[in-house]
Amino acid sequence: MTTERFARKAFKTAVAIALAVPLVVFAADAVVAKIRFVEVGAAAGVRTEHHTRRFAGPHGDVLRMFTSGGASVAAGDYDGDGLDDLFVTDSGEGKKSHLFHNNGNLTFTEVTDKAGVGGGNDPLSIVADALWFDYDNDGREDLLVARFGKPILYHNEGNGKFKDVSATAGFNKFGNTIAVIAFDYDNDGFLDVMFGNYFKPENLLDLKDPHVLPNDLDNAINGGGVTLWHNNGNGTFTDVTDKAGFGKHTGWTLDLGHGDFNNDGFQDVYLACDYGTDRIFFNNGDGTFRDATEKSTGFDTRKGMNAEVADYDNDGWLDIYVTNITDEYMKECNMLWHNNHDGTFTDVSKETGTCATLWGWAAKFGDFDNDGWQDLFVVNGLRSAGKENYIPVLLNDLITKPGVDFTDVANWPNIGNMTWSGYQKKKMFRNLDGQAFKEISAEAGVDNDLDGRGIAIADFDNDGRLDIYQTNADQPSLFYHGVSEGIGNWVQFKLTGTKSNRDAIGARITLTAGGLTQIREIDGGNGYAGQSSKRAHFGIGKASKIDSVQIHWPSGLVEKIDGVAMNKINKITEGKGIQR
Amino acid sequence: MSRRTFACLAARLFPVCLLLASPMTGADDAFDKAERALASKDFDSALGSFEEALTADPDNLRNASEYRQATIQKAIAGHPKEGSPADFDREIAFFGKLTEANPKASNAFLNYGFSYVDKIPAAGSITQVILANNALGYFTKSIELKSTWIALYTRGNSYLYWPRIFGRAPLALDDLEKAYAMQKAEGKKSYHVRVYISLGDAYWKTDNLDKARAIWKEGAAQFPDSTPLKDRLARDGDALKDYIDNVLDPNKRVDTNLRELWMTQ
Repeated sequence: MTTERFARKAFKTAVAIALAVPLVVFAADAVVAKIRFVEVGAAAGVRTEHHTRRFAGPHGDVLRMFTSGGASVAAGDYDGDGLDDLFVTDSGEGKKSHLFHNNGNLTFTEVTDKAGVGGGNDPLSIVADALWFDYDNDGREDLLVARFGKPILYHNEGNGKFKDVSATAGFNKFGNTIAVIAFDYDNDGFLDVMFGNYFKPENLLDLKDPHVLPNDLDNAINGGGVTLWHNNGNGTFTDVTDKAGFGKHTGWTLDLGHGDFNNDGFQDVYLACDYGTDRIFFNNGDGTFRDATEKSTGFDTRKGMNAEVADYDNDGWLDIYVTNITDEYMKECNMLWHNNHDGTFTDVSKETGTCATLWGWAAKFGDFDNDGWQDLFVVNGLRSAGKENYIPVLLNDLITKPGVDFTDVANWPNIGNMTWSGYQKKKMFRNLDGQAFKEISAEAGVDNDLDGRGIAIADFDNDGRLDIYQTNADQPSLFYHGVSEGIGNWVQFKLTGTKSNRDAIGARITLTAGGLTQIREIDGGNGYAGQSSKRAHFGIGKASKIDSVQIHWPSGLVEKIDGVAMNKINKITEGKGIQR
Repeated sequence: MSRRTFACLAARLFPVCLLLASPMTGADDAFDKAERALASKDFDSALGSFEEALTADPDNLRNASEYRQATIQKAIAGHPKEGSPADFDREIAFFGKLTEANPKASNAFLNYGFSYVDKIPAAGSITQVILANNALGYFTKSIELKSTWIALYTRGNSYLYWPRIFGRAPLALDDLEKAYAMQKAEGKKSYHVRVYISLGDAYWKTDNLDKARAIWKEGAAQFPDSTPLKDRLARDGDALKDYIDNVLDPNKRVDTNLRELWMTQ
């Protein structure tokens, strides 16, 4: 896109937002619900303390600082009882990750040992992310554990037990993986896997060459990129990274988000990258992707931490939310990429009030008051420790030193017990009719100051109010029970693919009620270090009936759904409508 | 006497004239050629001619300033928003060589620093810090060679852009107080309003709001039409903080055009 055209679009979007302000005020007055959460982690039995990996040797302190992710959560119903369970990772050497079975009364029972899925933190590997997905379409959620190392794929055996099938699945490549998503990029009915890799593929726990850090702090190109694995449909996967067009990306990938950004029926991908430009790839529909960054979003120099995908303004096109770093010493601003419906996006984070969330990590949309507009929760904070601040040390001992080699671990000052962007209050934003967002963190009860990393959003107690699980690096996790009163009506959909992948990842639901048309796409792990429920949740406000529901399945089938029940979970099987 | 020196003296800008004065008619010819090329948006020719003018007259403030403005114009014309970081590498390299060849040219060092400032809005957040730090180094060198009003104001103002956490606001105060004393000793000039603004900001940034307001008020009495001074005096508390934070946003281009020094009184 030309500069002039880009500027014109940005101007049009800004004008549209400015004109909408009076409407926003009017609509806000009409809403009575107050979004509120209560932290119940200990009572629910899901509070766990995360441990970042400690490294040996003189540069261990710096490497630990650079790998301070790994606190992730994945929500998924592994036993098919209609309740979303939780898998929460740990990263300390020898520490177990945790599988919590949802008992249905807002309590959980840890079943890690019985299930056999706690492992992965061996001396040469670090658990960093996790994902529930049914890779073999047998109706049971399998578990993929991503690592700084080789991934572990656990096959769900169906009796509360899992079997490590990594060796036969073909995931044989080492990667410093921090993010993983599953989606069916070629619509062949089987879920493929993309890994987002932070460092280049050198084992940090057995470091041979100290030059592993970013070669530029704003334009680094020596990261781990991504790998894309095609599901062969027989329990094995093949690396198709180069063939699909991702081989040239060597950025410091921190998160991955997928969705059909251009409404052509194929899943596209957004890569949030630290120390340099994010990338957007459009699916060509023939098994390959094209890098459309220059035309779609333009190149950036920010610290992309999160890629969340949702239609925040209910215009029928998916938008993208990326967290960056906006702190006292670094003014990057997040990016809320508004979809312009022509393959381009305009950043409206400043105009919508979602720009500044400090040192951002995961961010997820969810309709917390069921008013038909998706709200936003953002976690933040890098390292809360002692009173001394690391930033001036970093500035004087590294950043402003002439000719210093940033890639060399030995050149970075140790952080010791210093704080770096710590004790930051989390940010929750209420969506004001898709035009702006209002911060409500304190009144919603979610303004904790822990070092947040991942978020999973799900209705864990099936009461029509979304709940939130938040992981924190080197700190205990939090579990927020949604207790908002006076909320709107709602409807949820649990989809099962038949010709499409059984998880229905990539299926798009279009719902009209109360004069509002909304879309949801089932996603396979969008957002940093967290997988939300694969059950789609719609708030419909005061609407007393649902006018229409249509599902566009990844197979291409477009299905009109009749008989949808309000304030209920509706189970739908591809081609067969609602299953009672 | 060259045309510009004459114009300068005619305008009674004696201190600035001293900075500009030079018998280099070759430099003037190259400067005129550069201006003509710039008028026709032939940026490459313009930059080449400006470089020729500066090579002939290295300490010329006007030539250097106009050269940098031409670089900015070219960068913005060629790339969206504030240009690409690489757009500014030519001028940085040029001033590097110019100062190496003319180690006593204080204005060349001043503009060397400005060339890094010009690049800041086009760069990423961490590179911005590196560029700002480089700029401070060359401003300091310029002051060491000749402690002028413009150099002290420039370095003092630059310190203000650093977040409080880096503790550079007291350094801003020192420089700006010196520039303030200098301008008090000479006749009133339109550009003196800048020191009233920045010195007040420096007091605000060192948590001395009373002194900040006093300086802004003194400035407003001297320059009653100054919008920046009026804006500051009309605000308090968070509103004032938001206003100054916005002004000192490193992502916004700082006006480094020095034309006011010789174009106005």
